[in-house]
Amino acid sequence: MTGRGEVTTGPLPVGQFVTMVKRALTSEPLFQRQAIKGEVSQWKSYASGHTYFTLRDNDGQMSAVIWKGRCAIHPSIKEGTEVVVTANVDVYVKRGNIQLIVERIEPVNALGAMEEAKRLLVERLRNEGELDRPRTRPPVIPKHIAIITGAGSAALADMQKLIENRWPGLRRTVIGVLVQGQRASEEIVRALALTRRLADPVVAAQRGEPPVDLVIVGRGGGSPEDLWAFNLEPVIRSIIASPVPVVSAVGHESDLLVSDLVADVRASTPSNAIERTVPVRAELEQWLDELDERLAHATRRTFGDARQRLIGLHARLKVAPLAGINMERRSMLSLQSRLNRATESKLANERTRLASIEASLHTIHPKRVLERGYAMTQTKDGTVVTNTKMLELGQEFSLHFVDGSAEAAVTQIHTMEEEQ
Amino acid sequence: MTESKQTYNEAAQRLEAIVATLERGGMGLDETLKMYEEGAALLKTCQAELIAAEGRLNELRLDDLEQELQTEAP
Repeated sequence: MTGRGEVTTGPLPVGQFVTMVKRALTSEPLFQRQAIKGEVSQWKSYASGHTYFTLRDNDGQMSAVIWKGRCAIHPSIKEGTEVVVTANVDVYVKRGNIQLIVERIEPVNALGAMEEAKRLLVERLRNEGELDRPRTRPPVIPKHIAIITGAGSAALADMQKLIENRWPGLRRTVIGVLVQGQRASEEIVRALALTRRLADPVVAAQRGEPPVDLVIVGRGGGSPEDLWAFNLEPVIRSIIASPVPVVSAVGHESDLLVSDLVADVRASTPSNAIERTVPVRAELEQWLDELDERLAHATRRTFGDARQRLIGLHARLKVAPLAGINMERRSMLSLQSRLNRATESKLANERTRLASIEASLHTIHPKRVLERGYAMTQTKDGTVVTNTKMLELGQEFSLHFVDGSAEAAVTQIHTMEEEQ
Repeated sequence: MTESKQTYNEAAQRLEAIVATLERGGMGLDETLKMYEEGAALLKTCQAELIAAEGRLNELRLDDLEQELQTEAP
């Protein structure tokens, strides 16, 4: 392909030429680690430990070698055994022979050759850690999607329709390929190589478009054989090597392909791939409108609050001195009323006390006694007689009653002691 | 261009954070104003990203695209 344009100065020595052939063949990924099915013939193990045989079927054959200790050889393998080998193509320059360097050889059992090759591939990928490799997350908004699928296929029509529903006019490059048959895996690998170029910022700039930032590779449902390209190692290796995230979108929900195991996103169907990677533009717009509204509202509210606070402070500032005066006045009023109350109660107490004194004065006034029929005795010199010893026989004295007095004289004296 | 997905994602996340902070309130006016301005700029970025996703629809056979890229190659 590329050799045709090379400038040569003369005829090439054959050894050099074979070396060039060798280089071309061994650098082609399709020829490396390929799973190949065929029948064993001319099986020969040498003392050196190497095993040589020919892998053949009805249409062709190729010599193969298993280097000593390179891989386990099932004891059942013998002349005529159907096997699946995983091998690299190499050229034995000395003889110009193309041969398979076998890395793995397995007899075909009931599973069938393809299933076996798939199983081996998955196992190998698992051992290499490719199944657990970190995945690249697809962009939230893909700026340039590359879709690799059957040209004019129903799956493509479905995807196109779905994209237009979700994001009208979303930038995309569809690469139409064969998705089944002998040439499918080769075409898919080439298409993936093109997406690598389209993802290159320099190439993208030349083309005047953003670099490809998402690759969807897939096809609609079909028989296991129809989908088989997505189980083949070259396709799988290309997906793994992709610098942009790859979505595997093959067949129906129930189909599990090796591409599903290694892609950055596994979609159950082509339509599902679109649903998972193309956002609904109207929803994003609505969400942004909402944020716009919330942003403005929250900011307005903060400023509104601040203004309200300011107005409140202003109003309080205006009435603050009055409030001081009022407070003074209130406390004075309260003091006054307390004083009043205190004075009043004191006065009342005094009044009560006076009244009671008056009352007792009233009861003990001599006149009150006279009213009850007692009389007060007074000698002529005015002394009040309080006992018999103050009197003598014949002595004149006055008897005072309530309404007047009478003169009397002592005619007889009895003392209490005498009577007792 | 490769950082554009980061740009949208980060812009959107930052924008959400700003709106949430403003909605919680309790910030000074200076800070509020600054955040508002940042938010408004982020909003513009996000809206621009939506528009940037629109573009040409190419639909080619593998060989034609290979040809096209071949002729474009420097």
